[in-house]
Amino acid sequence: MSTKQHTYEAMIQTALNTRMHEVSRRSLLRNAAIAGGSIAAMGTIGFASAQDATPVEGAETEESPFASPVDVLNYALTLEHLENAFYRDGLAEIGEAGITELGFDATVFEKVTEIGVHENDHVVTLTQVITDLGGTPVEEAVYDFGYTDAAGFLGVALALEDTGVGAYQGAAQFLIEEDGLLTAALTIHGVEARHAAYLAILNEGNPFPEAFNPSLTPDEVLEIATPFFVS
Amino acid sequence: MSSLHKVFLDTIHEQRTFGVNGPAHQRLMAVQTTFADDIEVLNFALTLEHLEAAFYQLAPEYDLGTDAFGISINDRVAEVGAHEVAHVDVLTQVITDLGGEPVAAAEYDFGVTDSLSFLNTAAVLENVGVSAYDGAAQFIENADLLTAAGSIVAVEARHASYLNLITGASPFPASFETPLTPDEVLEAAGPFFVPAS
Repeated sequence: MSTKQHTYEAMIQTALNTRMHEVSRRSLLRNAAIAGGSIAAMGTIGFASAQDATPVEGAETEESPFASPVDVLNYALTLEHLENAFYRDGLAEIGEAGITELGFDATVFEKVTEIGVHENDHVVTLTQVITDLGGTPVEEAVYDFGYTDAAGFLGVALALEDTGVGAYQGAAQFLIEEDGLLTAALTIHGVEARHAAYLAILNEGNPFPEAFNPSLTPDEVLEIATPFFVS
Repeated sequence: MSSLHKVFLDTIHEQRTFGVNGPAHQRLMAVQTTFADDIEVLNFALTLEHLEAAFYQLAPEYDLGTDAFGISINDRVAEVGAHEVAHVDVLTQVITDLGGEPVAAAEYDFGVTDSLSFLNTAAVLENVGVSAYDGAAQFIENADLLTAAGSIVAVEARHASYLNLITGASPFPASFETPLTPDEVLEAAGPFFVPAS
Protein backbone atom coordinates (compact mmCIF):
# COMPACT_ATOMS: atom_id res chain seq x y z
CA MET A 1 0.00 0.00 0.00
CA SER A 2 1.40 3.37 -0.97
CA THR A 3 1.80 6.31 1.34
CA LYS A 4 -0.85 8.12 -0.65
CA GLN A 5 -3.35 5.38 -0.06
CA HIS A 6 -2.56 5.48 3.64
CA THR A 7 -3.19 9.20 3.57
CA TYR A 8 -6.52 8.88 1.85
CA GLU A 9 -7.57 6.24 4.29
CA ALA A 10 -6.54 8.40 7.20
CA MET A 11 -8.55 11.31 5.88
CA ILE A 12 -11.57 9.22 5.25
CA GLN A 13 -11.35 7.83 8.71
CA THR A 14 -11.10 11.28 10.17
CA ALA A 15 -13.90 12.56 8.05
CA LEU A 16 -16.25 9.67 8.04
CA ASN A 17 -15.61 7.58 11.11
CA THR A 18 -18.50 9.08 12.94
CA ARG A 19 -21.59 8.09 14.77
CA MET A 20 -23.25 7.40 11.43
CA HIS A 21 -26.93 7.75 10.83
CA GLU A 22 -27.98 6.79 14.36
CA VAL A 23 -31.00 9.03 14.22
CA SER A 24 -32.05 7.74 10.83
CA ARG A 25 -31.69 4.19 11.93
CA ARG A 26 -33.75 4.64 15.07
CA SER A 27 -36.63 6.25 13.25
CA LEU A 28 -36.50 3.81 10.41
CA LEU A 29 -36.19 0.68 12.47
CA ARG A 30 -39.26 1.80 14.31
CA ASN A 31 -41.07 1.63 11.02
CA ALA A 32 -39.60 -1.65 9.90
CA ALA A 33 -42.08 -3.78 11.79
CA ILE A 34 -45.00 -1.76 10.54
CA ALA A 35 -44.14 -1.48 6.89
CA GLY A 36 -42.83 -4.98 6.42
CA GLY A 37 -41.40 -4.37 2.96
CA SER A 38 -39.18 -6.87 1.29
CA ILE A 39 -35.78 -6.77 -0.30
CA ALA A 40 -37.43 -8.01 -3.46
CA ALA A 41 -39.41 -4.80 -3.58
CA MET A 42 -36.14 -2.95 -3.95
CA GLY A 43 -35.47 -4.71 -7.24
CA THR A 44 -36.26 -1.47 -9.01
CA ILE A 45 -33.37 0.23 -7.30
CA GLY A 46 -31.07 -0.77 -10.12
CA PHE A 47 -28.08 -2.23 -8.33
CA ALA A 48 -25.69 -4.14 -10.50
CA SER A 49 -24.76 -7.49 -9.07
CA ALA A 50 -21.26 -7.81 -7.69
CA GLN A 51 -20.33 -10.10 -10.57
CA ASP A 52 -21.13 -7.39 -13.07
CA ALA A 53 -18.74 -4.92 -11.54
CA THR A 54 -15.46 -4.64 -13.35
CA PRO A 55 -12.63 -5.76 -11.08
CA VAL A 56 -10.15 -2.98 -10.42
CA GLU A 57 -6.49 -3.39 -9.59
CA GLY A 58 -5.62 -2.61 -6.00
CA ALA A 59 -7.51 -3.68 -2.93
CA GLU A 60 -8.15 -0.09 -1.81
CA THR A 61 -10.15 0.82 -4.87
CA GLU A 62 -13.77 0.37 -4.07
CA GLU A 63 -15.67 -1.56 -6.69
CA SER A 64 -18.68 0.29 -7.92
CA PRO A 65 -21.92 -1.46 -7.14
CA PHE A 66 -23.34 0.34 -10.16
CA ALA A 67 -22.86 -0.87 -13.72
CA SER A 68 -23.26 2.57 -15.25
CA PRO A 69 -23.92 6.23 -14.46
CA VAL A 70 -27.57 5.62 -15.32
CA ASP A 71 -27.71 3.05 -12.52
CA VAL A 72 -26.36 5.62 -10.07
CA LEU A 73 -29.02 8.09 -11.21
CA ASN A 74 -31.73 5.45 -10.90
CA TYR A 75 -30.54 4.76 -7.37
CA ALA A 76 -30.97 8.47 -6.63
CA LEU A 77 -34.33 8.53 -8.39
CA THR A 78 -35.53 5.59 -6.29
CA LEU A 79 -34.91 7.66 -3.16
CA GLU A 80 -36.41 10.81 -4.65
CA HIS A 81 -39.59 8.93 -5.54
CA LEU A 82 -39.76 7.75 -1.96
CA GLU A 83 -39.36 11.29 -0.63
CA ASN A 84 -41.70 12.85 -3.17
CA ALA A 85 -44.51 10.40 -2.37
CA PHE A 86 -43.89 10.85 1.33
CA TYR A 87 -44.42 14.62 1.30
CA ARG A 88 -47.15 14.65 -1.35
CA ASP A 89 -49.34 12.09 0.38
CA GLY A 90 -48.36 12.90 3.94
CA LEU A 91 -48.98 16.63 3.73
CA ALA A 92 -52.34 16.03 2.06
CA GLU A 93 -53.27 13.72 4.89
CA ILE A 94 -51.98 15.79 7.78
CA GLY A 95 -52.80 19.20 6.42
CA GLU A 96 -51.72 22.54 7.80
CA ALA A 97 -53.78 21.88 10.93
CA GLY A 98 -51.72 18.80 11.74
CA ILE A 99 -48.56 20.89 11.77
CA THR A 100 -49.96 23.87 13.64
CA GLU A 101 -51.45 21.58 16.28
CA LEU A 102 -47.88 20.69 17.18
CA GLY A 103 -47.39 24.32 18.14
CA PHE A 104 -45.69 25.43 14.94
CA ASP A 105 -46.84 28.47 13.02
CA ALA A 106 -48.18 28.26 9.48
CA THR A 107 -44.79 29.02 7.92
CA VAL A 108 -43.60 25.58 9.00
CA PHE A 109 -46.29 23.95 6.88
CA GLU A 110 -45.28 26.18 3.98
CA LYS A 111 -41.62 25.25 4.34
CA VAL A 112 -42.28 21.52 4.56
CA THR A 113 -44.50 21.88 1.51
CA GLU A 114 -41.59 23.59 -0.21
CA ILE A 115 -39.39 20.60 0.62
CA GLY A 116 -41.95 18.38 -1.09
CA VAL A 117 -41.82 20.62 -4.18
CA HIS A 118 -38.04 20.22 -4.26
CA GLU A 119 -38.31 16.43 -4.13
CA ASN A 120 -40.77 16.54 -7.00
CA ASP A 121 -38.34 18.72 -8.97
CA HIS A 122 -35.59 16.18 -8.29
CA VAL A 123 -37.81 13.36 -9.56
CA VAL A 124 -38.66 15.27 -12.73
CA THR A 125 -35.05 16.23 -13.44
CA LEU A 126 -33.56 12.80 -12.75
CA THR A 127 -36.26 11.13 -14.85
CA GLN A 128 -35.48 13.48 -17.71
CA VAL A 129 -31.71 13.01 -17.48
CA ILE A 130 -31.97 9.21 -17.32
CA THR A 131 -34.27 9.26 -20.33
CA ASP A 132 -31.92 11.57 -22.23
CA LEU A 133 -29.06 9.17 -21.51
CA GLY A 134 -31.06 6.33 -23.05
CA GLY A 135 -31.88 4.70 -19.73
CA THR A 136 -35.19 3.60 -18.26
CA PRO A 137 -36.14 5.69 -15.23
CA VAL A 138 -37.42 3.71 -12.26
CA GLU A 139 -41.01 4.42 -11.36
CA GLU A 140 -42.66 5.30 -8.11
CA ALA A 141 -43.46 2.30 -5.92
CA VAL A 142 -46.03 1.79 -3.17
CA TYR A 143 -44.78 2.81 0.24
CA ASP A 144 -45.80 2.61 3.85
CA PHE A 145 -44.04 5.11 6.08
CA GLY A 146 -45.58 3.85 9.27
CA TYR A 147 -46.24 7.17 10.99
CA THR A 148 -49.55 7.70 12.73
CA ASP A 149 -49.52 11.43 13.45
CA ALA A 150 -47.94 14.72 12.44
CA ALA A 151 -45.07 14.38 14.90
CA GLY A 152 -44.32 10.94 13.51
CA PHE A 153 -44.46 12.38 10.01
CA LEU A 154 -41.81 14.99 10.87
CA GLY A 155 -39.64 12.28 12.44
CA VAL A 156 -39.74 10.16 9.31
CA ALA A 157 -39.11 13.27 7.20
CA LEU A 158 -35.86 13.89 9.07
CA ALA A 159 -34.82 10.26 8.70
CA LEU A 160 -35.51 10.35 4.96
CA GLU A 161 -33.53 13.56 4.47
CA ASP A 162 -30.57 12.39 6.55
CA THR A 163 -30.55 9.18 4.55
CA GLY A 164 -30.76 11.11 1.31
CA VAL A 165 -27.75 13.26 2.18
CA GLY A 166 -25.70 10.20 3.16
CA ALA A 167 -26.82 8.31 0.06
CA TYR A 168 -25.82 11.04 -2.41
CA GLN A 169 -22.56 11.52 -0.57
CA GLY A 170 -21.73 7.82 -0.67
CA ALA A 171 -22.68 7.44 -4.32
CA ALA A 172 -21.00 10.60 -5.67
CA GLN A 173 -17.69 8.78 -6.06
CA PHE A 174 -19.31 6.49 -8.63
CA LEU A 175 -19.92 9.54 -10.84
CA ILE A 176 -16.31 10.72 -10.59
CA GLU A 177 -15.77 10.17 -14.32
CA GLU A 178 -18.94 12.10 -15.21
CA ASP A 179 -18.24 15.73 -14.30
CA GLY A 180 -21.64 17.07 -15.30
CA LEU A 181 -23.63 14.35 -13.57
CA LEU A 182 -21.43 14.56 -10.49
CA THR A 183 -22.00 18.29 -10.17
CA ALA A 184 -25.72 17.86 -10.72
CA ALA A 185 -25.89 15.17 -8.04
CA LEU A 186 -24.05 17.43 -5.61
CA THR A 187 -26.46 20.28 -6.25
CA ILE A 188 -29.21 17.95 -5.05
CA HIS A 189 -27.10 16.63 -2.16
CA GLY A 190 -26.69 20.15 -0.75
CA VAL A 191 -30.42 20.80 -0.86
CA GLU A 192 -31.15 17.53 0.95
CA ALA A 193 -28.69 18.67 3.62
CA ARG A 194 -30.54 21.97 3.96
CA HIS A 195 -33.81 20.08 4.34
CA ALA A 196 -32.25 17.79 6.92
CA ALA A 197 -30.98 20.71 9.00
CA TYR A 198 -34.38 22.38 9.03
CA LEU A 199 -36.20 19.16 9.92
CA ALA A 200 -33.68 18.48 12.69
CA ILE A 201 -34.67 21.81 14.22
CA LEU A 202 -38.37 20.90 14.00
CA ASN A 203 -37.53 17.61 15.72
CA GLU A 204 -35.69 19.50 18.46
CA GLY A 205 -32.38 18.12 17.27
CA ASN A 206 -29.12 19.67 16.19
CA PRO A 207 -29.20 20.98 12.59
CA PHE A 208 -25.50 20.20 12.19
CA PRO A 209 -24.57 17.49 14.69
CA GLU A 210 -21.08 16.85 13.32
CA ALA A 211 -18.25 18.62 11.50
CA PHE A 212 -18.35 15.96 8.77
CA ASN A 213 -21.60 14.53 7.46
CA PRO A 214 -21.73 10.71 7.49
CA SER A 215 -21.79 8.94 4.14
CA LEU A 216 -23.91 5.87 3.51
CA THR A 217 -23.05 2.99 1.21
CA PRO A 218 -25.76 1.69 -1.10
CA ASP A 219 -26.04 -1.39 1.14
CA GLU A 220 -26.64 0.79 4.18
CA VAL A 221 -29.23 2.85 2.33
CA LEU A 222 -30.92 -0.33 1.18
CA GLU A 223 -31.16 -1.55 4.75
CA ILE A 224 -32.66 1.74 5.93
CA ALA A 225 -35.11 2.27 3.06
CA THR A 226 -36.33 -1.25 2.40
CA PRO A 227 -38.91 -1.26 5.21
CA PHE A 228 -40.75 1.58 3.47
CA PHE A 229 -41.38 -0.41 0.31
CA VAL A 230 -44.67 -2.26 0.08
CA SER A 231 -44.29 -3.14 -3.58
CA MET B 1 1.48 31.04 -11.14
CA SER B 2 2.38 27.79 -9.48
CA SER B 3 -1.04 27.01 -8.12
CA LEU B 4 -4.51 28.33 -8.17
CA HIS B 5 -4.75 29.20 -4.52
CA LYS B 6 -1.73 31.46 -4.94
CA VAL B 7 -3.40 33.03 -7.95
CA PHE B 8 -6.57 33.33 -5.96
CA LEU B 9 -4.88 35.28 -3.19
CA ASP B 10 -2.63 37.32 -5.46
CA THR B 11 -5.60 38.26 -7.54
CA ILE B 12 -7.54 39.39 -4.55
CA HIS B 13 -4.62 41.52 -3.40
CA GLU B 14 -4.21 43.11 -6.80
CA GLN B 15 -7.90 43.63 -7.18
CA ARG B 16 -7.97 45.53 -3.93
CA THR B 17 -5.02 47.61 -5.08
CA PHE B 18 -5.90 48.32 -8.68
CA GLY B 19 -9.63 47.83 -8.89
CA VAL B 20 -11.44 45.39 -11.09
CA ASN B 21 -9.98 46.76 -14.30
CA GLY B 22 -6.38 46.46 -13.15
CA PRO B 23 -3.87 43.68 -13.76
CA ALA B 24 -5.69 41.36 -11.37
CA HIS B 25 -8.77 41.39 -13.51
CA GLN B 26 -6.71 40.61 -16.61
CA ARG B 27 -4.90 37.83 -14.82
CA LEU B 28 -8.15 36.47 -13.55
CA MET B 29 -9.48 36.26 -17.06
CA ALA B 30 -6.37 34.30 -18.01
CA VAL B 31 -6.80 31.82 -15.20
CA GLN B 32 -8.27 28.58 -16.32
CA THR B 33 -11.20 27.57 -14.19
CA THR B 34 -9.49 24.34 -13.39
CA PHE B 35 -6.96 22.82 -11.03
CA ALA B 36 -3.70 21.04 -11.77
CA ASP B 37 -4.27 18.34 -9.19
CA ASP B 38 -6.23 17.38 -6.09
CA ILE B 39 -3.88 19.36 -3.84
CA GLU B 40 -4.88 22.56 -5.61
CA VAL B 41 -8.55 21.80 -5.17
CA LEU B 42 -7.97 21.10 -1.50
CA ASN B 43 -6.04 24.34 -1.11
CA PHE B 44 -8.88 26.22 -2.75
CA ALA B 45 -11.21 24.67 -0.18
CA LEU B 46 -8.76 25.42 2.62
CA THR B 47 -8.62 29.07 1.55
CA LEU B 48 -12.35 29.32 2.15
CA GLU B 49 -12.28 27.32 5.36
CA HIS B 50 -9.61 29.65 6.78
CA LEU B 51 -11.85 32.58 5.89
CA GLU B 52 -14.82 31.01 7.65
CA ALA B 53 -12.84 29.88 10.69
CA ALA B 54 -11.44 33.38 11.17
CA PHE B 55 -14.87 34.91 10.78
CA TYR B 56 -16.45 32.90 13.59
CA GLN B 57 -13.74 34.00 15.99
CA LEU B 58 -15.63 37.31 16.01
CA ALA B 59 -18.82 35.69 17.28
CA PRO B 60 -18.28 36.21 21.02
CA GLU B 61 -18.22 39.99 20.42
CA TYR B 62 -21.91 39.93 19.56
CA ASP B 63 -25.01 39.01 21.50
CA LEU B 64 -26.90 37.05 18.88
CA GLY B 65 -29.94 36.29 20.99
CA THR B 66 -32.06 33.15 20.80
CA ASP B 67 -33.73 31.54 17.83
CA ALA B 68 -37.46 30.84 17.42
CA PHE B 69 -36.98 27.55 19.25
CA GLY B 70 -35.40 29.15 22.28
CA ILE B 71 -31.86 28.00 21.49
CA SER B 72 -28.96 30.40 21.98
CA ILE B 73 -27.74 31.52 18.58
CA ASN B 74 -24.29 32.15 20.05
CA ASP B 75 -24.17 28.47 21.05
CA ARG B 76 -25.17 27.33 17.58
CA VAL B 77 -22.72 29.68 15.91
CA ALA B 78 -19.94 28.44 18.21
CA GLU B 79 -20.63 24.94 16.87
CA VAL B 80 -20.48 26.22 13.31
CA GLY B 81 -17.14 27.88 14.09
CA ALA B 82 -15.80 24.65 15.60
CA HIS B 83 -16.77 22.80 12.43
CA GLU B 84 -14.87 25.26 10.29
CA VAL B 85 -11.79 24.81 12.47
CA ALA B 86 -12.14 21.04 12.10
CA HIS B 87 -12.31 21.49 8.32
CA VAL B 88 -9.18 23.65 8.37
CA ASP B 89 -7.34 21.06 10.45
CA VAL B 90 -8.29 18.09 8.29
CA LEU B 91 -7.60 19.84 4.99
CA THR B 92 -4.25 21.12 6.27
CA GLN B 93 -3.31 17.62 7.39
CA VAL B 94 -4.34 15.94 4.17
CA ILE B 95 -2.59 18.50 1.95
CA THR B 96 0.57 18.04 4.03
CA ASP B 97 0.30 14.25 3.87
CA LEU B 98 -0.09 14.44 0.11
CA GLY B 99 3.18 16.40 -0.10
CA GLY B 100 1.53 19.74 -0.78
CA GLU B 101 1.92 23.06 0.96
CA PRO B 102 -1.24 24.06 2.80
CA VAL B 103 -2.25 27.67 2.21
CA ALA B 104 -2.01 29.77 5.36
CA ALA B 105 -4.71 31.97 6.83
CA ALA B 106 -4.76 35.49 5.44
CA GLU B 107 -5.83 38.81 6.89
CA TYR B 108 -9.52 39.52 6.59
CA ASP B 109 -11.93 42.38 6.95
CA PHE B 110 -15.54 41.26 7.22
CA GLY B 111 -17.01 44.69 7.70
CA VAL B 112 -19.17 43.43 10.56
CA THR B 113 -20.58 46.17 12.77
CA ASP B 114 -23.38 44.50 14.73
CA SER B 115 -25.22 41.24 15.40
CA LEU B 116 -27.34 41.54 12.29
CA SER B 117 -24.43 42.14 9.94
CA PHE B 118 -22.54 39.32 11.63
CA LEU B 119 -25.34 36.84 10.92
CA ASN B 120 -25.92 38.12 7.40
CA THR B 121 -22.21 37.79 6.62
CA ALA B 122 -22.20 34.30 8.13
CA ALA B 123 -25.05 33.32 5.83
CA VAL B 124 -23.18 34.71 2.80
CA LEU B 125 -20.02 32.79 3.70
CA GLU B 126 -21.87 29.50 4.17
CA ASN B 127 -23.91 29.79 1.00
CA VAL B 128 -20.83 30.72 -1.03
CA GLY B 129 -19.00 27.82 0.60
CA VAL B 130 -21.60 25.33 -0.61
CA SER B 131 -21.47 26.73 -4.13
CA ALA B 132 -17.66 26.71 -4.13
CA TYR B 133 -17.45 23.04 -3.18
CA ASP B 134 -20.17 22.14 -5.67
CA GLY B 135 -18.28 23.91 -8.43
CA ALA B 136 -14.88 22.48 -7.56
CA ALA B 137 -15.81 18.87 -6.78
CA GLN B 138 -15.66 17.83 -10.43
CA PHE B 139 -11.92 18.56 -10.44
CA ILE B 140 -11.17 16.04 -7.69
CA GLU B 141 -9.69 12.87 -9.13
CA ASN B 142 -9.44 10.68 -6.05
CA ALA B 143 -12.69 9.02 -5.03
CA ASP B 144 -12.00 9.12 -1.29
CA LEU B 145 -11.14 12.81 -1.39
CA LEU B 146 -14.34 13.43 -3.31
CA THR B 147 -16.35 11.67 -0.61
CA ALA B 148 -14.54 13.64 2.07
CA ALA B 149 -15.30 16.90 0.26
CA GLY B 150 -18.92 15.78 0.11
CA SER B 151 -18.94 15.26 3.86
CA ILE B 152 -17.80 18.88 4.28
CA VAL B 153 -20.12 20.51 1.76
CA ALA B 154 -23.14 18.84 3.35
CA VAL B 155 -22.23 20.43 6.66
CA GLU B 156 -21.79 23.82 5.00
CA ALA B 157 -25.26 23.37 3.52
CA ARG B 158 -26.65 22.57 6.97
CA HIS B 159 -24.99 25.72 8.33
CA ALA B 160 -26.40 27.74 5.42
CA SER B 161 -29.88 26.38 6.05
CA TYR B 162 -29.80 27.42 9.69
CA LEU B 163 -28.26 30.84 9.06
CA ASN B 164 -30.73 31.58 6.27
CA LEU B 165 -33.55 30.62 8.59
CA ILE B 166 -32.51 32.88 11.44
CA THR B 167 -31.81 35.80 9.10
CA GLY B 168 -35.28 35.56 7.60
CA ALA B 169 -34.34 33.96 4.30
CA SER B 170 -35.51 30.61 3.02
CA PRO B 171 -33.35 27.81 4.45
CA PHE B 172 -33.59 26.07 1.07
CA PRO B 173 -34.21 28.76 -1.55
CA ALA B 174 -34.05 26.49 -4.59
CA SER B 175 -34.48 22.84 -5.60
CA PHE B 176 -30.84 22.73 -6.69
CA GLU B 177 -27.72 24.38 -5.32
CA THR B 178 -25.90 26.84 -7.57
CA PRO B 179 -22.33 25.74 -8.27
CA LEU B 180 -19.86 28.62 -8.58
CA THR B 181 -16.66 28.59 -10.58
CA PRO B 182 -13.49 29.57 -8.71
CA ASP B 183 -13.70 32.93 -10.53
CA GLU B 184 -17.17 33.53 -9.18
CA VAL B 185 -16.10 32.48 -5.70
CA LEU B 186 -13.27 34.97 -5.95
CA GLU B 187 -15.70 37.70 -6.83
CA ALA B 188 -17.92 36.84 -3.86
CA ALA B 189 -15.20 36.30 -1.27
CA GLY B 190 -12.55 38.72 -2.56
CA PRO B 191 -13.78 41.77 -0.64
CA PHE B 192 -13.15 39.98 2.66
CA PHE B 193 -9.41 39.69 2.02
CA VAL B 194 -7.20 42.53 3.20
CA PRO B 195 -4.53 43.33 0.61
CA ALA B 196 -0.95 42.57 1.58
CA SER B 197 0.85 45.77 2.48
